[in-house]
Amino acid sequence: MAWATCLNGPENLSPKPATLRRQLLLWLLPPLLVLWAISAHIDYDIAKRFVNLAYDRALLDAALDIGRQIRVVNDRIYVDLPRAALDMLQTAEHDRIYYRVTSPQGEYVSGDPDLPLPESDTERVSYADEDYLGKPIRIVAVRVPVQPGSGKGAVTVQVAEPVTVRTGSAREVLLRMTWPQAILIYLSAVAVWYGVRRGLAPLARLRREIQGRSDRDLSPLPKAQAPEEVQPLIHAMNELLQRLSLVLSAQQRFVADAAHQLRTPVAGIKTQTELALRLTDPAQQQQVLHQLHTATSRLSRLIHQLLALARTEPGAQAAHAMRPTDLGREMREAASEWVPKALQGNIDLGFEGPDEPLMVRGNAILLREMLGNLLDNAIRYSPPGGRVTVQVTRKGTEVMLQVEDNGAGIPQDERERVFERFYRLLGTDADGCGLGLAIVREVAQAHGADVSLDSGAGGRGTAVRVRFPAAG
Amino acid sequence: MRVLIAEDDPVLADGLTRSLRGAEYAVDCVASGDQADHILISQNYDLVILDLGLPKLDGYEVLKRLRRRGAKVPVLVLTARDALDDRVRGLDLGADDYLTKPFDLPELEARARALIRRGQAGGSSILEHGPLALDVSGRRATLNGSPLDLSARELGVLEVLMMRSGRVVNKDQLAGQLYGWEEEVGPNAIEVYIHRLRRKLESAGVTIRTIRGLGYLLERP
Repeated sequence: MAWATCLNGPENLSPKPATLRRQLLLWLLPPLLVLWAISAHIDYDIAKRFVNLAYDRALLDAALDIGRQIRVVNDRIYVDLPRAALDMLQTAEHDRIYYRVTSPQGEYVSGDPDLPLPESDTERVSYADEDYLGKPIRIVAVRVPVQPGSGKGAVTVQVAEPVTVRTGSAREVLLRMTWPQAILIYLSAVAVWYGVRRGLAPLARLRREIQGRSDRDLSPLPKAQAPEEVQPLIHAMNELLQRLSLVLSAQQRFVADAAHQLRTPVAGIKTQTELALRLTDPAQQQQVLHQLHTATSRLSRLIHQLLALARTEPGAQAAHAMRPTDLGREMREAASEWVPKALQGNIDLGFEGPDEPLMVRGNAILLREMLGNLLDNAIRYSPPGGRVTVQVTRKGTEVMLQVEDNGAGIPQDERERVFERFYRLLGTDADGCGLGLAIVREVAQAHGADVSLDSGAGGRGTAVRVRFPAAG
Repeated sequence: MRVLIAEDDPVLADGLTRSLRGAEYAVDCVASGDQADHILISQNYDLVILDLGLPKLDGYEVLKRLRRRGAKVPVLVLTARDALDDRVRGLDLGADDYLTKPFDLPELEARARALIRRGQAGGSSILEHGPLALDVSGRRATLNGSPLDLSARELGVLEVLMMRSGRVVNKDQLAGQLYGWEEEVGPNAIEVYIHRLRRKLESAGVTIRTIRGLGYLLERP
């Protein structure tokens, strides 16, 4: 179950992944809050402006009211404020209201004598912000002519109130405007939180479906209920499952085939040893021992090839890194190693190739294994006195490896089948186990190379050609 | 000659023991790593045949401890794994040679012989090949016991061929061997020396084969 711990591994090691929910909120909330702050700022400005307008208007009204009550008797100026009006002025809502009436000559007539006078004495109406009794106040000054057209000048009427009255009102307006916005932001966060959960529900269903599966169930995942966005994911997973099940069944078939193939030589060995134990004649024993030796050699070759095949499996290739490799040099060295074996069978093994490097992207161990299998076949199926030639050439963007023999050759209609695992040509007496060309094809595939099988020179024998894309 | 075999498979250990005893070696056999380590502390051997996959203490560890004690005994490593780095690791730790299971018995015997010879007095300087013998340090060759008249360069070529007898020697390896004597060694020069050697050796049945495109090979006697 090593792979199971492997699957769990990364989850345990990596930091907690970002949830979609948190991500969305992270993108949504800060901009909303910033917008909120900016809008509050603008709102406050607007509120202040309208509150100012309204309050200034009220102050002006009060000043004009007072102005209407001015009487001139014997050139003396009186302000005839009714008691009720005075009360109203002085007990205004939050704070008191101040006023002052000043004669055209600048003499104090009535009201609060310390109220600061306006700077300008020509404008009919003017506003000013001043400090009075330690508090900021807003003053309106109105100039009222004593007798219109008489040229006797104008009486200045000032009314003032503390500024705090206005800021209080502005704040209240602001609060009433921003509260609903805050509630809106909160509600959208809640909507995202639950919306994402609802939106991801199909994924959660998919997860439960996958978690609940047995490791043998490679049937496609149900697609019907999933929303359109999840369909490609399910489709991709189903494709993966399908490939997996193909690979898995191929491997199961291979393991079964391999076990059967191993059984045969083991059965032979067992039979021969049981026989040998019964024999007493040394000459006969000797004969049996030869049989045993043959059987164990075949067994050992079979095991070697099974391991070689396992090495070319896609999963094992991480261990065999591909790097720029001089195919000419590797093949020359690998061919050299096969010379003693060739000489034993009285076969003339030779090499043809240029001195300069022929680079491919590949793995030297796998490439040597491939040539080994090609030469093993060529030597095995060539009659004594035969000739086997390894050739490495470059043609344009291709580097070609060719192994040619002048043996019996492979019939046209069997040339595709010989690449299948455990396939053996009928009518040959050599003790191959039918894995050699399967290994060649797997190695070629791992290198992005093509394998073809043709007749040798002059239509005799076999020529196996492996075409690699050239590197560099 | 004393040989220690550290191998836990009883059938293989028995086979190895019989084969080496047949070659007149005194053979001890242990089946676990700690036994091997223990016996190597107290006893001296001329060769250790060490399986990497031993129980209790694996072969790597036995080898590492052996070399840490400064022992120079030659070690032949046996391994069932054939990943290349396994071998390299074994050789890095101080193994002198390795064989992948299953191996041919004659191959093992030949390697054991070579290692024992190398271990003695820093290696014998006599190369032998059937009727042919070459004294590497004395720079002399004999055929059937009588001196063979060879030039220094012919002797150099023959030495390389004999050291790798039965295997292919390419022209670069031969040219490298001759480099000390001559400024420029063309491929034609090598052909000339091979031709001369063949003429001098053919009467005794010693054959130097030309391997097409690969080089030369001194056929096993």
